[in-house]
Amino acid sequence: MTDPAVTVRDLTKVFPVPWRRQSVVAVSNLNLRIEPGEVYGLLGPNGSGKSTTLKIILGLVSPTRGCTQIFGEDSRRVQSRQAVGFLPENPYFQKFLTGEETLRFAGRLCGLGGAQLNKRIDELLELVGLNKARKRRLGTYSKGMLQRIGLAQALINHPRLVVLDEPTAGVDPAGSREIRDLIVDLKRRGITVLLSSHLLAQAQEICDRVGILAEGALVREGHLQELIAIENQTELVIADASADLLREIESVINRSSAKLVERRKSTTTLERLFLEATQNGATRLRGEQNDTPPQ
Amino acid sequence: MKFSTREDLPCTETAPRHRPFSSGRILAIASNTLTELIRLRVFYALLVFALLLIGSSIFMAQLSFQQEFQILKDVALGAMSIFTSVLAIVATARLIPQDLEDRTVYTILARPVPRLEYVVGKIVGVLALLGISILVMSVAFVLVMYGREQAVVRVTLRQMAGAPPDQVADALRAIRASAFNVNLFPGILIVYLKACLLAALTLFVSTFASTNIFTIVVMAFVYFISHLEATAREYWLQEHGSGLVTRIFLALVALLFPDLQEFNLVDDIVAGTAVSLGLFLKTAALGVFYITIYTLLAAWVFYGKEL
Repeated sequence: MTDPAVTVRDLTKVFPVPWRRQSVVAVSNLNLRIEPGEVYGLLGPNGSGKSTTLKIILGLVSPTRGCTQIFGEDSRRVQSRQAVGFLPENPYFQKFLTGEETLRFAGRLCGLGGAQLNKRIDELLELVGLNKARKRRLGTYSKGMLQRIGLAQALINHPRLVVLDEPTAGVDPAGSREIRDLIVDLKRRGITVLLSSHLLAQAQEICDRVGILAEGALVREGHLQELIAIENQTELVIADASADLLREIESVINRSSAKLVERRKSTTTLERLFLEATQNGATRLRGEQNDTPPQ
Repeated sequence: MKFSTREDLPCTETAPRHRPFSSGRILAIASNTLTELIRLRVFYALLVFALLLIGSSIFMAQLSFQQEFQILKDVALGAMSIFTSVLAIVATARLIPQDLEDRTVYTILARPVPRLEYVVGKIVGVLALLGISILVMSVAFVLVMYGREQAVVRVTLRQMAGAPPDQVADALRAIRASAFNVNLFPGILIVYLKACLLAALTLFVSTFASTNIFTIVVMAFVYFISHLEATAREYWLQEHGSGLVTRIFLALVALLFPDLQEFNLVDDIVAGTAVSLGLFLKTAALGVFYITIYTLLAAWVFYGKEL
């Protein structure tokens, strides 16, 4: 039987407040088990203990009580992080380094080197679309570019577990969509993803299971579809239905013991609308520029 | 955002095997630290050193050559000592607190990097910076000394145009003896070790300091106390004798405030006294001992730090 990708057992973290006889309980008796290949979302409002939990899992903060494991290895042991990639919230990378140097540094810390590292850097810069900006210092990168280089450095060591702390924070909708696509692709390749977010709509699209934290405690956990399903309700989405057909369906429902709760036009999401509008706008602008005769 | 098509995603290979200790990781952190410091343009301080050296050599051209060379050596080695000490404290004070404040430490320590290697990598980076600085300053010093020596030789040869060859040879020997000599190298090496010691102590202080300013202020006090420590110790021993308690107390004081007067071999060297190999090795060993102790203490404090 394989070890879980992440195990959190009776985890409690208390931060003492200096100069006062009080303390802050960041995480309280938390238990989690994340299976290999799963995309697990740790959700909760700001200050609910998500980042502290991730930091304990990564060995950056020590637990007050309880323990955490990565693939069966105690998180406090350095080797537990050998196959882990981490993207911190608002990644403040070393701005004096170029994109390429950032990946090289990350690779060397993981024991990569030589041609193998060069190849990996090329692959990842290509993957996150930063090949042209590889020689530019991170100080000149936009927030979205920083997030992309952050993802690239998290993947440098061929991780089996990727930990993402608010991966789409501050990224525009198009960038956000690309990051979600990448997470889905990581899952397809059998890589476990543990992400924290307070953007619930995004988590809903990509997570297999979620845990909801509130004031340091796990208040809900389970498979997403089970958690959000309304047991006694069913949705039908019909295309090109005539008014007669809809009337007929409604009358069938009315004749039965069931109740029609709501009838409305299907809508697109605001995000999809934004993406279509910006992509179409950009295409039209490029076309107009090409049509303009040179001055 | 332009991620490439999913088919191009690099295939998943296995992660490299973990090594409990890796000089490669330490070198990666050290070279990263060195790059950071170089790109912060700390080397601009060296320009001030060069200007000071060239300015003082022009000013002192009016003195006799013995006085000129003596003062030039004094100024150059004194400036080297001060510049490297200031550079060691200022450059080191920001390293760990800045990494913590910027959260760049997360991306390093969330990898399979032991905290000891992180601290050692940081100090090795600073030592490399100090090494480059002292090398550049030494080269500038040698070039200025050589230039002045050649100028004095030319003037002397012109003035002694009709003198007997023996007298001319004696005069040239006297000039060369007063100018740069190899005895200066051990002195420069000790200046380097003193700066390294200060860097290691600064790193230790910075592991529990809350701000860079705090570290720099503490180190300024430590610097002055450490230079006065020998005098205070002698006075204390005269007043209180040398019982066990006194010796333990003095050992603790010596650990917190290293006796930097022990590293002032330069004064004797400039005065023309050759430093014995024994004294040089003893001083060097003391420097290496302090650097090791402070680095280990820094690693110990950093090990228990919540990030």
